[in-house]
Amino acid sequence: MKSNIVTKRIVFYLALILSWQALDFANIWPDQIFPSPLEVAEDLAFGAANGSLFYGIGTSMLRLIIGLTIAIAGGLALGIFMARFSVVNQTIGSLVLGLQSIPSIAWVPIAILWFGLTDAGIIFVTAIGAIFAVTINSYTSVKNIDPTIIAAAQNMGAKGPQLISSVLIPAAFPYMIAGFRQGWAFAWRGLIGAELLFSFLGLGFLLNVGRQLNDVSQVIAIMLVIMGIGMLVDGFVFKKIERKVMSRWGLA
Amino acid sequence: MAKLEAKNIVKRFEHNGEMLPTLDGINLSINDGEFVCIVGPSGCGKTTLLNIIAGLTKPDSGQVLLNGRQITTTGPDRTLVFQEGALFPWLKVSDNVEFGLKVAGIPKNERSEISSRYLDMMQLTKFADSYTYQLSTGMKQRVAIARALVMDPEILLMDEPFAALDAQTRDLLLVELQLIWERTKKTILFVTHNIIESSVLGSRVIVLKNRPSKVKKEIIIDHRRPRLAEDESLKKYQQQILAELRTEVQPGGKHTD
Repeated sequence: MKSNIVTKRIVFYLALILSWQALDFANIWPDQIFPSPLEVAEDLAFGAANGSLFYGIGTSMLRLIIGLTIAIAGGLALGIFMARFSVVNQTIGSLVLGLQSIPSIAWVPIAILWFGLTDAGIIFVTAIGAIFAVTINSYTSVKNIDPTIIAAAQNMGAKGPQLISSVLIPAAFPYMIAGFRQGWAFAWRGLIGAELLFSFLGLGFLLNVGRQLNDVSQVIAIMLVIMGIGMLVDGFVFKKIERKVMSRWGLA
Repeated sequence: MAKLEAKNIVKRFEHNGEMLPTLDGINLSINDGEFVCIVGPSGCGKTTLLNIIAGLTKPDSGQVLLNGRQITTTGPDRTLVFQEGALFPWLKVSDNVEFGLKVAGIPKNERSEISSRYLDMMQLTKFADSYTYQLSTGMKQRVAIARALVMDPEILLMDEPFAALDAQTRDLLLVELQLIWERTKKTILFVTHNIIESSVLGSRVIVLKNRPSKVKKEIIIDHRRPRLAEDESLKKYQQQILAELRTEVQPGGKHTD
């Protein structure tokens, strides 16, 4: 069953690449506009050989990890406070909903004004793009904990920070992962957008360089890398964690 | 002095915009080492009363005294065994049982020593490393009882802990709970809607009136232990309890548990 799906996928992608190559052979558009898959592959190989590609990936991933860590830590804390203290939810909660509607890219101007053209600015955009999604999801996850679980813990003496770390977070964790996953998706989009606009390194920057050099095959090559990393992180990292947690919590 | 006293407990709940009394002046007095059952029709507020005694719910008026001192919050001196166990699925059985001890800051080696004693008492030793979702409902309730007992509470509160069990498992646990009570000399307050359960377990059975509920009748069950669910000689007590309850359960009455 599983290998059947894999075969279908391989056939699909092969067909896609072949049609792309066929379109290129048809010579409808000039090469500067529509490169062949081979040219894109050459570009990838070139970037890999001189190391610029891996350096770009490394830089972006580092920024992403820092930004996402900030978003998860901050969103978790804020979400838990919103769930536990109705006054926080009634006040800050409405602001969070509003802020969540701002696209990450709209934070770029203020990031430049506050942090200049620095890594801190990029990390700011990455983190702020993800933090509110994580907040809202953490809030819902904690709100949905079976109240008798919390009552049992309190009855046995748990309160304050101990209640949060030893009961609220583990009880809500299987549902929080969905929020982390969403946070990652927002962070990844925000990061590439910010890099495109004001970075000197990273995948977004390489994308911009490709445009400036009129090198459409580099642009496509970097887009494929961005897509590939997205699929990899989502499909392997998050799905694996999710599956593991679900079975460990007895929910699978 | 009574171990636990409830004085004039009143609790109202909103119903169609009106505040209706659920508990309407409940008075209880439970002596040290007593096994008391509270029976009442479904929806009469038994669970609410137990939650108030546990300190999880605040009464609108009245007070609960433990060893003569008024209780204000919840705490491990009155551990509660919940109807559905309320176990922590992310912890192993042994860690579930040790939870309260860990919260109290007791060191690891001491914790495992205490918990292994209670795991043994509840016949859970070979499940110590299992997760709770791997256990049957009966096993889960054993874990819940062990988790409550390790705290060495002043009084053990039990909220229909056997309601979800199959008959055989329940009958077995009814006997075991009596043996545990005799062994640990704990004061136990056990809430149930089941007449047989109450007659098997209670040295005293308190029957509650339907909403607005009050104490209707107290029945002393002076009978040798361990008692069995099928014990014929308990029938007369069961009929006495049933007679008290029957007048409380009217057809078409509200059942909002």
